[in-house]
Amino acid sequence: MPILEVRGVSKRYGKNQAVDDVSFFIEEGETYGLLGPNGAGKSTTIGMITGILERDSGSITVDGIEHSVTNRKSKSLIGFVPQELALYHDLSARDNLRFFARLYGLSKSEARTKTEEVLETVGLSDRAGEAVSQFSGGMARRLNIGLGLLNSPRLLILDEPTVGVDPQSRNSILESVHTLTRGGVSVLYTTHYMEEAERLCDRVGIIEAGKIRAEGTQRELVSQVGEDDTVLITLDAPGERVLDVLRALEPIDEVSSEGTQVRLLTSNARDALPLILDTLTRAGAGIRSVEVQEPDLEAVFLSLTGKGLRE
Amino acid sequence: MSNGPNTLTMIAAIVAKDVRQRLRDGSLLVFGLLLPLGVAFFFNMLLGDDTSRQTGSEYVVVDSDAGSLGQEFVDAALRPLADDGVLELTTADTEDEARALVEDGGVDAAFLVPEDFTESLENGDDAVLTVVGDADAPVATHIAREIGRAFATEHLRIRLAVASGFDSEPSPEDAALLLEEAEAAEAPLVLSEDADLEWRELGNATYYSASMAFFFVFFAAMFSVTSIFDEKAGGTLARLLASPIPRGAILIAKLTSGLVIGLANMAVLAVATSVFFGADWGDPLGAGALILTGVTAVIGLTAAVASFARSSEQAANWLSVLAMLLGVFGGALFPISQLNGLAIVSYLTPHRWFLLGLGELSAGGLDVVLLPCAVLLALGLVGTTVALFRMGRMVNA
Amino acid sequence: MKPLIIGVLNLRRVFRDRTNIFFVLLLPFLMVFMMGLMYGGGQPVLAVSSPSQAGLADRLVDALEEDERIDVLHMDEGEMRDLVEGGDVQAGLVIPDDYEDRIRDGERAELELVTRSDDLAAADVGIWVRSVVTRESSLLSTAQVTGSVRDDGFDERLENASETEVSGIEVEVTTSGDATFPEGLSSHSLAAPPLLLLYTFITALTTSLGIVQARRSGVLRRMYASPTSAGSIVLGEALGRFLIALTQALLILFGSALMFGVDWGDLPATSLVVTAFCLVSSGASLLLGSLARTEGGALAAAVGISLGAGALGGTMLPLESFDETMTTIAFLTPHAWGYDAFSELIRNQATLTDVLPHIGVLLGYAAVLLTLGVWRFRGAVTA
Repeated sequence: MPILEVRGVSKRYGKNQAVDDVSFFIEEGETYGLLGPNGAGKSTTIGMITGILERDSGSITVDGIEHSVTNRKSKSLIGFVPQELALYHDLSARDNLRFFARLYGLSKSEARTKTEEVLETVGLSDRAGEAVSQFSGGMARRLNIGLGLLNSPRLLILDEPTVGVDPQSRNSILESVHTLTRGGVSVLYTTHYMEEAERLCDRVGIIEAGKIRAEGTQRELVSQVGEDDTVLITLDAPGERVLDVLRALEPIDEVSSEGTQVRLLTSNARDALPLILDTLTRAGAGIRSVEVQEPDLEAVFLSLTGKGLRE
Repeated sequence: MSNGPNTLTMIAAIVAKDVRQRLRDGSLLVFGLLLPLGVAFFFNMLLGDDTSRQTGSEYVVVDSDAGSLGQEFVDAALRPLADDGVLELTTADTEDEARALVEDGGVDAAFLVPEDFTESLENGDDAVLTVVGDADAPVATHIAREIGRAFATEHLRIRLAVASGFDSEPSPEDAALLLEEAEAAEAPLVLSEDADLEWRELGNATYYSASMAFFFVFFAAMFSVTSIFDEKAGGTLARLLASPIPRGAILIAKLTSGLVIGLANMAVLAVATSVFFGADWGDPLGAGALILTGVTAVIGLTAAVASFARSSEQAANWLSVLAMLLGVFGGALFPISQLNGLAIVSYLTPHRWFLLGLGELSAGGLDVVLLPCAVLLALGLVGTTVALFRMGRMVNA
Repeated sequence: MKPLIIGVLNLRRVFRDRTNIFFVLLLPFLMVFMMGLMYGGGQPVLAVSSPSQAGLADRLVDALEEDERIDVLHMDEGEMRDLVEGGDVQAGLVIPDDYEDRIRDGERAELELVTRSDDLAAADVGIWVRSVVTRESSLLSTAQVTGSVRDDGFDERLENASETEVSGIEVEVTTSGDATFPEGLSSHSLAAPPLLLLYTFITALTTSLGIVQARRSGVLRRMYASPTSAGSIVLGEALGRFLIALTQALLILFGSALMFGVDWGDLPATSLVVTAFCLVSSGASLLLGSLARTEGGALAAAVGISLGAGALGGTMLPLESFDETMTTIAFLTPHAWGYDAFSELIRNQATLTDVLPHIGVLLGYAAVLLTLGVWRFRGAVTA
């Protein structure tokens, strides 16, 4: 049984259909990435799954339990790490943790034990008594994640946990999520950083304009746009003669052109590139620029939606 | 099947967290303790603990009269009043001395009986009694004049009877007869005094201690109620909503924090002002009931108003204005008499009912606080209902 | 233009801080209320319960009402007792229903004066009532007695008695000294001016914190890094303090005029006094902000200096109550000059020429403080 099953969920704000018939599931122990640009409906979807927002239609089950904003049982199974630093900055890290532990129904002594455990996990034990306002951005981010772990959730939902974080902290956050998933926690991870999704997620759903556009493992998605690398070359004057020369090259599978730009498909662009450039130079074609695109989620996204993720 | 964790425990956790936050940011200390104590102290210092702002007026008399009439004035008109304790009387030897006393504010007015007081009267001339009043004590001066006039009229009553009794010069026999009658006549008006009415009014120390405490409870409660907007802006509200706690419990918890903080403030202030300023809050049970229902009213009103605001700043601005207006119209800053035009408006404020309840309580009897308590409780419940009704809007985006 | 932008930004920052709404907007009015209350005193009130039909009782009531300094209210006895108990009126007088009949019949009528036990506030009203009753009693007695020799009715006899003059005792009243606060001047008119001075100065000085913050946080360096001259920055910050001080002053000025009906007197003269005092305040604030090393230090100094100078300058207790030495010392503060100028304008309806010396002195203070402030602040910007 999947830990989370979302079926035909929709949500509308006035005229804006924020989420439109979204369905997906997360298996026990799986890390699922929900990928999409800002405004694609990620946060609304997350809001409904965390039980913050009511949905207009559809169903959500958590560990088989029908989930809703009032179902405390299903809410107890979920750990939530919001995008903002949702912390009481005037209180200490320990105060923050103990407070939310109590809200998740831990007894006083359980809350105390769990707090120290989480502090250890996120590496804040030595600063636990300090007000959060004294924390660096990275430390606050770590505490933000730690708060999601208090109830030992079956499903951890991380909503863009690395936004505005320096590369070093980001790495350590990704590391700790990885550690968690190895421990068997199922994770729903939203991001608009492609490389994070590629690094962490078992399966990825691409959401855009409130709809899931594609879903699958990275390999499955990439295969949708083809296995080949793409080389884009802009020439001074691409004549039919130049294209023929390129077509004749053995590693090149396909050649097409549009205006001054020539598009080549090849199974391995790195190996083929010296040959291509050499051939073009000899043919006397003036090269203005060369770009290599390896098939990744970015390319998948681009081919699905016609726009970049960060636009 | 267990329905998740215990809601009451969660509310308690939120309340404890809120109180801790208010302690940390100092708002509890400043608005809950320092400001009300400071302002109550200031009032107390300015006004003293006399319920009356005036004490009995003080007069000085200089009797330079060679004859006996001056002495009669002092003995018949002034001395009885002084003996009753309604005025303070001193004597001076010279006019200059008396004038000096008036000048430097030692007394409110001086009666100057001239040397020829008796003589002038006996010669059929006007005898002049001079009142020298302090320009800063117009009421006392005016009263002094009236004392003099009353003496003059009474003294001349018999002559007046003769003078107004006949249109033309009467025969000595007739005049003598009337004179006798007039002398024998009893004064037609007697004034009895009932000076035993109870005090249903708070002394200054108590009034300002209580009114300031209540006035500032608004500000202490404000921070609790508006913190829901801060939580929304800071993202922690999302966390609260995602946690297994019923939605209504979040608002209930916020209101409870305000109530706890307000009650603690009032309790501390009641004790502190009793000890330091000699305030008398009356029967602890009655005062306790008034405080409990009074703070409930404040929380209810605060929550109702806040529920229409969009942000913490907006709520705080509105609530500051509300607290100020209710304070002014409810008599928290200066006592509103029932005679004042504001009196009707004042009954719309919790301040008025709270202070009225304490005033009634000061005269004894617990049942007198029932009506004020009921009104305050009703205000609180109405406000809370409005807030709960609009809670969805406060909690959701 | 740039100084104005900086100045307005400073003003906006003041109102961004939530607590300032209370301290700038609400507290001054609270204080005007309180001080008005302190000066006010209130008139003694007598409640009278008299028979409904017109007649002799009206004469007594008219006599009681004769003076405006004591308010007389009419009500039934029950309400009167409530009001006396609640302290809303100082005393009550009950005129019995058979008053008219008994007096006309030549009998005596008993009036009742109702007060609370040991209520000193009732003393004045008590004497007033006794004196008026005594006088009326004498006249009524005369009317009763003369019945034996006159044929006309009681009313005519009474009128005759009231109008007959016998040479006798006359009471002459003079008052001594000038009333500190002339009658008819609202007590808030006395409270508002010193508070305007006190609060304008406090508010301006506490904004010196903003300068210290800007210095320490590097905002000042960032401003200087932009193509803005040091002169513009200094001018802007000084203008900011001035605008803040002016806002506070105008709030109290117009607020007290609207809410408490305070008449501030000659408008051009008052404007100039306010402007001059705001310049003084902004100069002091600029100087303090440039000198203080930390925010805490600036705040402590701001509160200490503004309350100290305020108390010394007569904004807490009236300057009139100071003795000679203290008065001399008081006039070392700009507050005392402002206080004196407002006193002239409000109490004595003075005009611009009367307060020119005050304005001159205030401008002198402003010149010295602003010069020192600009000099020190410029040093802080360019350092």
